[in-house]
Amino acid sequence: MTARAKKDSAAKPIKAGAIIHEHRLRNGLQVLIAERHDDPVVASMVFYGVGSRNETEGEAGVSHFLEHMMFKGSARFGKGEVDRITTVLGGSNNAYTAPDHTAYWFELASDRWEIALDIEADRMNGLILDTREFGAEKKVVLEELSMGRDDPWRRLAQAVSEALFSRHSYRRPVIGYEDVLRGMSVDMMRDYYERHYHPGNAVLVICGDVNPRRALKAARERFGSIPARAAADEADPSPIEEPAGEQRVTTHWDDSSRRLVMVWPTAVVGSEEDYALDVVTTILTHGRLSRLQARLVHDQKLAVSVSASNDTRVDAGVFWLYAECADGVEPRALEEAIDDELKRLATERLPQSELRRAKRILAASDAHGSETVSDIAEELGEYAVDANWRLAVEGIERNKLVTAVAVKDVTARFLIPSRRVIGWSLPIGERS
Amino acid sequence: MNAQELRKAGGVRLSVPLERYELKCGASLLVSPRPGAPVTALELHLRGGPSLDPAGKAGTAYLTSALLSQGTETWSEEELAAQLEPMGAQIIGSASGLAARVEGKEWKSLAAILSEMILRPTFPTDRVKLQKQRLQHRLLIERENPQAQARLAFRRLIYGDHWMGRAAYGSLETVQKISSRTLRAHHKGAWVSNRATLAVCGDVDGPSVKRRLDRLLKGWAPGKILKPRKPRFPKRGVRVALHQAERRQVHIFLGHLGIRRSDPDYPALVVLDHVLGTGPGFTNRIARRLRDELGLAYTVNASISSSAGISPGMFTAYIGTSPENVDTAISGFLEEMKRIQMEPVTEAELELVKSYLIGSFPMGYERAARRASYLIASRIHGFPDDYLETLPQSFEAVTPEDIQRVAKKHLHPGACCLSASGPVKKGVLKAALRG
Repeated sequence: MTARAKKDSAAKPIKAGAIIHEHRLRNGLQVLIAERHDDPVVASMVFYGVGSRNETEGEAGVSHFLEHMMFKGSARFGKGEVDRITTVLGGSNNAYTAPDHTAYWFELASDRWEIALDIEADRMNGLILDTREFGAEKKVVLEELSMGRDDPWRRLAQAVSEALFSRHSYRRPVIGYEDVLRGMSVDMMRDYYERHYHPGNAVLVICGDVNPRRALKAARERFGSIPARAAADEADPSPIEEPAGEQRVTTHWDDSSRRLVMVWPTAVVGSEEDYALDVVTTILTHGRLSRLQARLVHDQKLAVSVSASNDTRVDAGVFWLYAECADGVEPRALEEAIDDELKRLATERLPQSELRRAKRILAASDAHGSETVSDIAEELGEYAVDANWRLAVEGIERNKLVTAVAVKDVTARFLIPSRRVIGWSLPIGERS
Repeated sequence: MNAQELRKAGGVRLSVPLERYELKCGASLLVSPRPGAPVTALELHLRGGPSLDPAGKAGTAYLTSALLSQGTETWSEEELAAQLEPMGAQIIGSASGLAARVEGKEWKSLAAILSEMILRPTFPTDRVKLQKQRLQHRLLIERENPQAQARLAFRRLIYGDHWMGRAAYGSLETVQKISSRTLRAHHKGAWVSNRATLAVCGDVDGPSVKRRLDRLLKGWAPGKILKPRKPRFPKRGVRVALHQAERRQVHIFLGHLGIRRSDPDYPALVVLDHVLGTGPGFTNRIARRLRDELGLAYTVNASISSSAGISPGMFTAYIGTSPENVDTAISGFLEEMKRIQMEPVTEAELELVKSYLIGSFPMGYERAARRASYLIASRIHGFPDDYLETLPQSFEAVTPEDIQRVAKKHLHPGACCLSASGPVKKGVLKAALRG
């Protein structure tokens, strides 16, 4: 590193060895450059602040379908060109859609990565949306939807989401509904694209073996001339309503498993509660010694598996708890044991040793989850588009600040029976 | 710059330093130092794997690995967990050994615990019972999973009664017969030092890893050298299996016996795979035709090289699609297999695939675990020291004629096995296979 580069990098935030430089172009595009030279690889990602959260009932699934169409031709890069160019350069590309954002990813060697910016800039401003391609890709999306409907866990998760969010768009699956997708028109998608795909609603993350000045120049050259656009003028999603009491849903599947999903509405991404809930998740289900693993799987043998996830989002979070009954165990027995453990966590003093263990596990998970430049780019981008990229850097420190009292408080506040939806997937013919 | 020019320009180079040692106990040790790496990966491979399962007790090798963390002479399973979990260590057992990773600075502690697990596991009866119950539950659920059933039936069609025709984790019937005693006996006979290869990748130095492992694995006894046995598989031919189920999609596995990793045609078949069914996105023929043009599926692929091992792998073409598309999908697979035999691939296709294979070669080695797996593969298959340099050169040398030759030699569209599951009738499958 040159002396000047060293000076530039001084006091910059660092994530897993990557020095982060933040910029914003005049058209509103946020640019994050994370410089790490361990390997000759560069990940570049563009995140748009749009996902199923932004859809109306009649648009359900358009964000995800549009993600597919972003590979089907833009002004400079015709159909198939994105894959062809990525392949010829020995790189990889992909994309995904979430409730709050849509992300596009390239990973290329560091001597040729800038082509990714050409492609991203072109399809940010010049997507073609050919009618014939739209029709062909719709079939693929419908097959993807069918694939998900053949999965009992996905069906159950969808049923509890619909019950949990009675009005908010988080109730709908990211992939949408079959009837809506079948009726979707290319004009409707174009309108959606024009409303949401513009520099002010996007974050570009470049992570890896780059010179940050040259990377910024490259970004300016490609994206700088894309006109700024006013943010889409649309109604906010319906508010999240506080649950009026425990709800139950039941689905059926043609095997012998009894699958349980419990969900509670929680906090927004990046809040103090978010970090406390990370610790709660770890204490409850991470590893053999976690409370629910130890009791449900190992000691009382009520379940064959149990896991949890703290899924915080822009408007509200969801705490997911998954379990699968051991053979011959009644669902009620499993529920009671879970309730008992949640009550303990909400009312009893948390031993410091358990808190320390959870924090060490979270720190180690962060190291494992930041091993590659793509891992880092994804985390920075998701936080940037949903809240603030600095949370990706500060996360572990904020986890460390969580106290035993905070763990007890969030459990008592959020994870109580009267706020949850309990979903069971039972063998066909078995009554709930 | 076009594809050829890009390749000639050289691009970035991959370097995976490799230090070879033999431990005093007789095990091989491979170390790949990577200064500053945040994660250290350790992998142990034992020759034999599920081929050493006792008759009627398939799943023994798998359960042996799974039970190593469930108690040793020094530590109970709770004590092992209390040491491993706070350091964020992940240990995954398989029928062929163990793979572990940990934050870089913790590798010494992990190595000590792994050594204890390797040398002195106790297979406590209650833990064996619990592990078996969990596995049996999984197998019971899997019995109603159409995709899993079709995949298993496909293996049986190709490998028949050979151990490769079974799932490494066994079946409901075979797991039932496995006891603590079975596992102890298997461990004693199969977990022997002279069949073991250890790979370590991370911020470590080879001599100190060797010194530590020499001390930790002192007393690890050698065993009998395994003699290679010629496998016997069913003769090539058309065979059909069906698992009927009420689902939205039909899962189709079509193919036949494949190649060994040591086959001299391996580089040409890797190139063939990418033209035919594994090239990224829609750059391969099958995905372009069945997904991009016809919209038949979200997931569709085909490959012969990816399963090549010490024993022959499989050529497998897979698609998950709606019932009304079954005939089109199967004929699409067969027609593309025939086409690549009959017509030389175009220069443009070949250039694209070569550029991808050569350009992507350095990618994916960021993870310590990937490097450790490479070290193990290099030992198992006897890769030369300059393999990471010569393999791309082998891809570069492949010609359209080579691809046509290996397609004719190794693909057999007229003698494919077909396993399907979902809402479809066997007659439809047979008719589609006949074309």
